[in-house]
Parts: sequence; C-alpha cells; structure tokens
Amino acid sequence: MSPLFPKGPSPNIKIVAVLIISLGLMMIDHAQEAIHPLRSGIAAAMQPLQLAAELPADAVEFLSKYIDRDELIAENKELGQKVLLLRARLQKLAALEAENERIRGLLSSASSLDEDVLIAEILAVSPDPYLHYMKLNKGSIDGVFAGQALVDANGIIGQVTAVNMMDASAIMITDANHGIPVEINRTGLQTIAQGTGKTDRLLLPFLANNADVREGDLLVSSGLGGRYPAGYPVATITRVSHQAGDEFLNVVAAPTASLNRGREALLVWTQQATHINPEANNTASPRNAKDDAQPAATAADTATSEQNTGTPASAKNPNAAAQ
Amino acid sequence: MSPKANVSLLLIFSSMALALVLTLIPLPNSVAVGRPAFFAATAIFWAMMQPRRFGIISAWVCGMFLDASYGTPLGQHALALALAAFVVNRLKDLYWGFPILQQSVALLPVFALYEFVLFWIDGASGRTVEPLWRWLPVVSTTLFWPFWVLVLERFAAIDVQS
Repeated sequence: MSPLFPKGPSPNIKIVAVLIISLGLMMIDHAQEAIHPLRSGIAAAMQPLQLAAELPADAVEFLSKYIDRDELIAENKELGQKVLLLRARLQKLAALEAENERIRGLLSSASSLDEDVLIAEILAVSPDPYLHYMKLNKGSIDGVFAGQALVDANGIIGQVTAVNMMDASAIMITDANHGIPVEINRTGLQTIAQGTGKTDRLLLPFLANNADVREGDLLVSSGLGGRYPAGYPVATITRVSHQAGDEFLNVVAAPTASLNRGREALLVWTQQATHINPEANNTASPRNAKDDAQPAATAADTATSEQNTGTPASAKNPNAAAQ
Repeated sequence: MSPKANVSLLLIFSSMALALVLTLIPLPNSVAVGRPAFFAATAIFWAMMQPRRFGIISAWVCGMFLDASYGTPLGQHALALALAAFVVNRLKDLYWGFPILQQSVALLPVFALYEFVLFWIDGASGRTVEPLWRWLPVVSTTLFWPFWVLVLERFAAIDVQS
C-alpha cells in the first residue's frame, strides 16, 4: 500500500538509478583500482563486525589451549625438537649461503638469497566459498606492498592484492583467477600453475604430451614474472593423465602450503623485487630504486649485499634474515 | 507484527549487523557453500515489513557493505539486494497476506533472483562459478526464513511496545 502523497522518487526510478550506478561501479572496479579508497573505507567501518565474526573461532582456539594441558606439553616438546632440528639445518645453511654468494660474486650476478620476512596474522579468509582471499593484519605502515609474496612453512600461499594502512588483503594461489609461474624441481621444466577455485588443487595447463612430468614431482616457484621469489615450493603433482587425441596433458597438483588451516603467514621482501622495475634495471645501482617500499630493517642487508658484488661475502649472519 | 507499526531504526540496524556477522563467521568450505543468505533474508524482511524505513536504497547501501567484506566487485551484492528489495516492495501486499510457511515458499523466487544476479555478475566478470552448488543457498534460505522471521517479529513486537 503506497501513501497517498508519496515522498521522493518512485521505486521504479530508484531501481533504475541503482542499476546504473551499480553497473558503473562494477565496471570501474573491474577495470582498475580507482575506487579502492571507497572500498577500504567501507572495510574499515566494518572492522568491528569482522572481529565479532571471528570471535567464536578465536574463543574456541583460546579455550582449547587452557583446557588441554597435556596437549600443550606435548606441543611444546614437539616444538622444542623441531627447533633443534631446524637449528642444525641452519648451521649448514649459513655455510651454503656464504658459498653461494661467493660463487655468485664470481659470476658477478645479483645476490638473490637475501629475503626479509615479517609474520602476519591471517585475520579472515573470504566467507565466499568461491573466492580465495584472506585478510592480513599488516598494512602499509609495516611496508607491505601490493604484489608481495606470502608464504608459510611449507610453501607459497599467495600474493598481496590490496594494502590499507593497517591491513592488507591477499589472493591465494588456488583462486580461479590466479596463476603462478613454476618449474618442476626435478627437470627444471617451466610452466604455470593455475588456481581452480578448490583449495586442494592447481592445474598445469598446456604441458605437451611428451613432457617429462610424473606424479609426486615438486613444483617450485620459478621467479619469472618478478612477483614471487624463486625456489619456494608451490605444489606437488598428484595426477598426470592424458586422453587420447588431446594435445596437452591433464596435470593436477596439490599446494604444499596449508592454505586453509594456518593462522599465520610470512610476508617476503626479496632483493629481486627491485628488478621488476624496468627503469631501475639498466641503472648502475638497481637496488636503491625500491628501497622506499621496504622496511628499515632491510636497509642494512641491502647495503651489505651491495658490497658483495664487489668483494666476496663475509660470513654474514643468516639468523637476521631468518627471524 | 503489523506492517504499519514503525520499528526503530536501531532494531533494523542491529539486526542487519547480526546478520552480517552470521554471514562472515568462518566456516569450512563444504558447509559455507550451503550457508543461508542471512544478510539478504534480513534485508528482504525489512524491505517487506517496513517499506517506509527500509527501501531499495537502504538495501543497496547494505549490499555495498557485503561487497566490501566479500571482496567482490563493489556493486554486485548491492545490485542483487536492491533488485530483491524492489520485487518484495512491489509485491508486499501479496506477501503480507501469507502465513509464514507459505511466505517462505513464495519468497523462493526472490532468493533465486538474488543468487542469480550474483551468479550472473560472477560469470560476466570472468570468475569461475559452479552452477549446481550456487543454488544451495536458495534452498537453505527458504528453510531458514520461518525461524528468522519469528525471531525478528518477536524483537519488533518488543520494540514497538517500548
């Protein structure tokens, strides 16, 4: 029942206006990042609700730690052993890193081992089951930038897509709109791993029939494209099949990172990130170009690695990078 | 609740906030595909019961919040919600007459329209969509509607009295 003297425009006019505005907004949003401020403004206003939604899961996790003391002790023990094991490996790594840098110095190629990391907490994963996005608690204040790689203990998770002041959102490698350049660790074969929209599978399209691919092969990031640091594990191949008559193999891989389970992720700053910049590529000191985007902590490392191109590496402390 | 009694904006706002929290609570993927569209159901309820308080524009603004939290193109959920609100706004006289259970069945096409617009925009913007599972929320929202309406009407009754 409509009022006798309706105020304001009629529903028909309203719906048409809303339709046009929405379509316009979506087109702009799809084409470029022009309305990013609007989006981050709304997102900031919603932060309390977002936190409220996380509360049940957080509370359960928090309480379970208090209730089960035995589990805590067991976990502590396990972690202690793990630390011992990792320390032993790290000792070896220090020597290897020094050697690698020395050899790279001989080849006069840029050092790419130095990577700084920052632990970010995963605030939320996209509630839409068809979108594989997550929200992180680090933002532009911490030096996070769009395109930055995100890894966990087992492999690559994804990359940062949008940065706000206090938080950032990242896309996972399994999102259907995501592809990551990889190489097969065993053979060095370069290819691309595409997301499928399912958290446990990636697709490797366009591998020729006779390509040397086997189940169980490890895929590592190849570093092509400049987004991801090279050499991080991405996925293991779970199925290789071929249908008679098809030109390409049907290869499916499972991500090595625990994409849907972890609460924390590592943001990686690579020295190589500086080489993305095409103008910086041909200048004498390419590393300075993007230093502004990196946190102050990297400045010292950058300085040392610059010396390294001239002089062989002194035994640098790798712990600094590992922390 | 009589549709003519005006409920307070505070109630509308807090019920929308509650629905948004229910929408955002993290669930395993297998459960999340069938999650009822809490937010849309609440917006449709208010668009139907309080057309003077909550109209097409309100639904559209609410949809923007959903877009921002989902990371979907700004305007996708907003448009779908505005269209759903428009339909129930036009047909409110019809819907008011139904008992709750029939009402939920009669609203099924509206929920389907809402999901279809989302589905359609997903397809148009080049995101992969899974046609079959996409319709699960339509069914679950229809099943969830009577309970949610009972809750909302109870609160609305308290609100109108005070």
